[in-house]
Amino acid sequence: MKLKSPRARFFISIAIGAVLLFISGRVDELRSYQGAQVAIFAIAISSIVLLTGFSGQISLGHGALMAVGGYSAVLVQSHLNLPYPIAFLIGGAVGGAAGFLLGIAAARLQGPYLAGTTLALAVGIPSLANQFHILGGEQGLTFDIGTAPSWIGKDFSQYRWFFWVSVIAALLNYWLLRNLLSTRYGRRWRAVRANPTAAALAGINVGKAKVLAFTLSSAVAGLAGSLYAMLLGLVAPLAFTLTLSFTLITGAVLAGVSNLGGSIVGAVVLVAIPEISGSITSHLGGSEKVTSNLPGLITSVLLVATVLFAPNGPKWPRRKHQ
Amino acid sequence: MTIFFNTLLVGFSSGAIYSLMSLALVLVWRSTRVVNFAAAGQAILSTYIGYEAMKVLHNYWLSIPVALLAGALISAGVEAIVMRPLAKRSKGTPVEAIAPVIATLGILGLIRSGVGLIWGNSFLQYTSPLSSKGYTIGHTTIPFSPLNAAIVIGASVVLAIFAMIFRFTRLGLSLRAASFQPEISRLSGIRVDLIRTIGWAFAGAASAVAGALVTPTTYLSPNSLDLLLVSGFVAAVIGGLESLIGAVVGGLVLGIGFAFILQYIGTSVTFSAAFIILIIVLLLRPQGIFGVRRSREA
Repeated sequence: MKLKSPRARFFISIAIGAVLLFISGRVDELRSYQGAQVAIFAIAISSIVLLTGFSGQISLGHGALMAVGGYSAVLVQSHLNLPYPIAFLIGGAVGGAAGFLLGIAAARLQGPYLAGTTLALAVGIPSLANQFHILGGEQGLTFDIGTAPSWIGKDFSQYRWFFWVSVIAALLNYWLLRNLLSTRYGRRWRAVRANPTAAALAGINVGKAKVLAFTLSSAVAGLAGSLYAMLLGLVAPLAFTLTLSFTLITGAVLAGVSNLGGSIVGAVVLVAIPEISGSITSHLGGSEKVTSNLPGLITSVLLVATVLFAPNGPKWPRRKHQ
Repeated sequence: MTIFFNTLLVGFSSGAIYSLMSLALVLVWRSTRVVNFAAAGQAILSTYIGYEAMKVLHNYWLSIPVALLAGALISAGVEAIVMRPLAKRSKGTPVEAIAPVIATLGILGLIRSGVGLIWGNSFLQYTSPLSSKGYTIGHTTIPFSPLNAAIVIGASVVLAIFAMIFRFTRLGLSLRAASFQPEISRLSGIRVDLIRTIGWAFAGAASAVAGALVTPTTYLSPNSLDLLLVSGFVAAVIGGLESLIGAVVGGLVLGIGFAFILQYIGTSVTFSAAFIILIIVLLLRPQGIFGVRRSREA
């Protein structure tokens, strides 16, 4: 069996998942929480990798699309009483729909216009929550998917359950995207990224390919957003700030922008940074100023250094291009 | 009718600030083909420096030139230390187009957290001696205040000086030539790299003045200029992203547009309004008011 066939990937994903889920029983609540965070960030970063690394578009507004997904999941779960897996899927679908609308505008835009438009989106969307009563204003809305089902086992802690849900979602997402990128759609996106004019001459509908990439990427971001809402237990404008959008881009750059597997590395780094900075400040006995700003500082330095010294992304062990 | 004129005046005052920010973005775009998202960061750092200067000098007006100078130096530093090496390194790689955008975002984050480390995240007051209470004409008080008047005057002075430099000096000619035809300018003896850095310095000065003028109407915190960045960008797009006059006109149009939206719809839509206006402009006239439609660049 070839290692790269979809079926092989499927089994590898299952194997990785089984190992991770087994480990989850051996660690404490904080590590489970962080594990879930890594899985969710990996999904969100993969949406940027898909968009930027494979179709050559940039978005500074994926934090806002995560908010769209998160709010939709919470609303359908609380108002329609749908089970949460459906709520997550709806979160992804609504994120995708928002991305489709945005993508139509985005496909006409190049470089700076696209970056600026999505930036305006990142600033604009979270503030919408203050205008509609149903969105709960500044406090946001709570989101509770409940505890693990009893058949899984007794004493199954809350965060361990979140970890399970996130890891399964992340693996499914990875498996789907990996396979999708080796189909003709993936090839079209790469062609569009490499040279739009040549791609158009080769018969590819550039606009359509870009809109499709944007839609799919937004759907993935929406899914990540609804999982993020689950982990936080709420959706609120302050959870989906501009900083979140920037953080995702940092993660994607650290992953090596066109490296889907790297998104897990990016996610680990993003989750590790607050941890590292926490231990630094506790050693040095820093003040509140330091504790609240050091993580951002480390993230930004990493981002600038990566772009400056390894514009193609760090040299992770790299496969040959298919 | 009174309300109409009041709104127009208030819009003019905020528009003057958007013009400065938009000018900062357009200057950088013209000289290096980068939308400088770090402009908000550079402006916030120079505004904090202005704030410190005011504590020492006990004079708001003297603190503005200090902020302006700081802004110019910071911006030139960013160009020389990060952006120029980056342009050389990423040339010809697949990330050539997006690397500068990501780098400016990184610098924005870097400056913001650096500022937070030094001054903290709490809201500071950087106040001007002028009242923000409106003028009283007869028995009615209008929303246009001495502070607004100072903003309009301050912004106009800076814009006028810039216009003179660009129009009538050798430096201005070099700046325009270097952004218009870098290769030919180099052949005619212009040091294009140096001129680019100077272009960034001018941009930094413009955004610093914008920060120092707008902050007394609100408060000072590491994130307090984010909306200004978005407004500046929208204004630049309205003006066509290429044209300096367009940047100024775009800023005024946006400021007045905002003022009417706030007056007749409400304050709650401020953040979304920028986005909606941007989308409308991009759909109706993507090349902006003063821009020229160009064909796809291969």
